[in-house]
Amino acid sequence: MDLKQALILIFAGIGGTLGFSLIFRMRKKLIVWSLLGAALTLGVYVLCLATMQHAFFQNLFPALAGALYAEVTAKLTKSPATQYLACAIIPLVPGGGLYYTMYHFVTGDLDAFHAQLTQTARVAAGLAVGIMLVSVLMHQLRRHSYRELAKQTEE
Amino acid sequence: MSEPSYPAAQVLSLAMDIGKCMIRCGAEINRVEETVMRICRAYGMQQTDVFSIVSMIVGTTRDKNGTETTLSRRVYSYATNFMQLERLNALSRKLCANPVDPASVRPELEEIRRDPVKLHPTVCIGYLIAAAAFTLFFGGTWKDALASVPIAVILWLIGSLVKVHGMSKLFVTALSSATAGFLAIAFVKLGLADHAGMIMIGDVMLVIPGLMLINSVREMLCGDLMSGMLRLLESLILSLAIACGFAVPILIFGAGGVSWI
Repeated sequence: MDLKQALILIFAGIGGTLGFSLIFRMRKKLIVWSLLGAALTLGVYVLCLATMQHAFFQNLFPALAGALYAEVTAKLTKSPATQYLACAIIPLVPGGGLYYTMYHFVTGDLDAFHAQLTQTARVAAGLAVGIMLVSVLMHQLRRHSYRELAKQTEE
Repeated sequence: MSEPSYPAAQVLSLAMDIGKCMIRCGAEINRVEETVMRICRAYGMQQTDVFSIVSMIVGTTRDKNGTETTLSRRVYSYATNFMQLERLNALSRKLCANPVDPASVRPELEEIRRDPVKLHPTVCIGYLIAAAAFTLFFGGTWKDALASVPIAVILWLIGSLVKVHGMSKLFVTALSSATAGFLAIAFVKLGLADHAGMIMIGDVMLVIPGLMLINSVREMLCGDLMSGMLRLLESLILSLAIACGFAVPILIFGAGGVSWI
């Protein structure tokens, strides 16, 4: 992959995030945060594309980066992490993969259909595992404060 | 606690309405369950059990007198709306910190829930930018990106009509994908664009349930099996609807002559 391709991926991806921030009705002030998140996620993605072979790992690390960024930004801006996560991850979402899978299904090329389906499943699994690892970590941190709250209400 | 205690039914009803609103604007299931539980707890309820899937919330709570109340809420449609989600989040935090009379919160909740504008221009601009950007992202040329823009406007109009007329989401998704397919072929045949496939991907990204697919896998990994399976099934069925949609132009015009990939 050459530099030009990498730059197209990053900037077009950020454009996609901008579009979806508007579609998801994000607050205007917060959009810049979601664009930064997309830049980070896409940067890691391009690095992973250049250095790794398997689609699972190519998507796992960007998802980890995006999810960590979303949690930190949520704390900084005091707003739900979901929105930063959804916007930062959206360029990596296997929309293209789903399209190709369905295209091969429609045209009856079953070998290509099977290959695309496997590839799309790997991408989805990579992204989901990355996001989940971060949310498990955050859940452990948060459960502590949740217990404190439970104690207070019992008193 | 010195605060007056409110009847379980009133508290649970408010908490469940907030939960329902949260599902409608795209919150995660475990977040919804936690919010309902937290609000009930803040109002001094002794025990609360909540179960939620994407289309339903059921909750039971017991107050200090031992009176138990069970309520359920059915969720029919959802569309991601982070502005609304943020306000709901702030409202529930406020209630947890300071449990005021549930009846006095109703007008505020109603105000958050109300969204009178059916055709949001902001969403339309989002559609344009996203379609053009994803066409480039997946390898289309500048001409393809420009061609995807008018198609995105039409998809936005079709999508907005659903909200107005309450048409089936499956049907609308198939219709959107078929329309995008016909228009993409038309642009290529007229020589205004190079790859019908790239235009299709850019526009299909707007309706394809990619994020839903990721969320479903994530929910299943986190233990929300029911909700995750429902979302997975829904995203697969929606993908099939998209496939059926763009199968129509391919079957009519044939895949030959136009680059689909």
